[in-house]
Amino acid sequence: MKEIMIKARNVQKSFGTHQVLKGIDLDITKGEVLAIIGPSGSGKSTFLRCMNFLEAYDFGEIWLGDQLVGYRKSASGALVKDKPARIAAVRARMGMVSQNFNLFPHMSVLENVIEGPIVVQRRKREDAVAQARSLLDRVGLSAKVDVYPETLSGGQQQRAAIARALAMNPEVMLFDEPTSALDPELVGEVLDVMRALAADGMTMVVVTHEMAFARDVADRVMMMDDGNRVEIDTPEKIFTNPSHPRTAEFLQRVLR
Amino acid sequence: MDYTWHFQIVWDYRAVFIRGAIVTAQITFWATLIGLTLGLALGLMRRSEMVLLRAPAATFIELFRSTPALVQLVWIYYSLPILTGLQLSNTASVSVGLGLHAAAYFGEIFRAGVNSISKGQWDAARAIGMSYSQSMRRIILPQAIRRMIPPFINEFASLIKLTTLGSALAVYELLHEANNLINSTYRPLEIYTVLAVAFAVIIYPIIYASQRLERKWQLRQ
Repeated sequence: MKEIMIKARNVQKSFGTHQVLKGIDLDITKGEVLAIIGPSGSGKSTFLRCMNFLEAYDFGEIWLGDQLVGYRKSASGALVKDKPARIAAVRARMGMVSQNFNLFPHMSVLENVIEGPIVVQRRKREDAVAQARSLLDRVGLSAKVDVYPETLSGGQQQRAAIARALAMNPEVMLFDEPTSALDPELVGEVLDVMRALAADGMTMVVVTHEMAFARDVADRVMMMDDGNRVEIDTPEKIFTNPSHPRTAEFLQRVLR
Repeated sequence: MDYTWHFQIVWDYRAVFIRGAIVTAQITFWATLIGLTLGLALGLMRRSEMVLLRAPAATFIELFRSTPALVQLVWIYYSLPILTGLQLSNTASVSVGLGLHAAAYFGEIFRAGVNSISKGQWDAARAIGMSYSQSMRRIILPQAIRRMIPPFINEFASLIKLTTLGSALAVYELLHEANNLINSTYRPLEIYTVLAVAFAVIIYPIIYASQRLERKWQLRQ
């Protein structure tokens, strides 16, 4: 039995009167690569953002290992919002890469990568710099260490953002449509880095529109629609013989 | 019409202008210090989710923005001792009064500057485990302050000019010294002209420096 890394139970979330997550269950095992697909507005990004509590879910539970994310149980068993410091601590165990990169524009690439290790984890500067250099080398940016993000292409910015997330030595990496904002010719270089990461055994949750990536790299694919988990299975099963008509319809539309 | 300018008189009394300029600079310094410190606190309080922080900050800011600075100064100088028994010197009253006045404006500049930073920057900071204050200090403010420079310089320049209101409380700043000089020399045109030049000489270099700084930072962003 493989170790469970992230466990979600009946996760619900509303924005005002609109319910975007209608009770999601999910187990992600250590070393697994899970791709989440589905039409826009299906709640997949919101679900991912609930995992590291950038978005607070309203109901249900999300666990990272044996740590409940964002809430603690009161004496009566009810969930109450956790202390900010504890929420920050559990977030630091997960890396996140977002669609718009969100590098810090007032810092060089290297400073972006060492910021978390030095400020949040209080590691020694020399150690953080050494690790940052090796991470930037790994994502193919060793020539761009001292430049500012605005001078980088979208693909380079996204690879720098991946290095920044990895610098925290996360237990799991969350990717929120990491290639959606990229010019088509730059998508490949980012996916290559993610492929290498998956091959190294990193646990990854990837919200994506890149069906080829989901098919080739993911261990399992979860289809979401209208705030529900439609189905979850191996890529072979999802892409060749989906059990739900909604999945078949969606794939037919995006794969054409 | 022939009018003979007598700028020699102003030169003869240059010590008076320098004395006034020093007082003007002192008032500006303290008012800016109070304005920036309190303004930052007000700006952050007004962004808070807690109404107990937000409401007093909003009340303070709108009160000071919607009333004349002269009335605020007079009020602090004459009413504060009656209400609290705290009598400030006239120079201190002007410094504190203008400091509070500037804080209201600086607070709005801080708030607008912080709000102008994209939500994605907060997300990125929080995603690497930063607390609110770490995100604010390390990520948001360094970016926001660059955008605050132009409105801040505007406010600072108008603050320097507001120090002339000190003359109403008999503070010996530039305008008050100039008026005294006019009373004894009957040379208002020369003296006011030099007064205007004196303010321009103080204010323009600051505006120039801020424009240089702005351009330099723009290259980086």
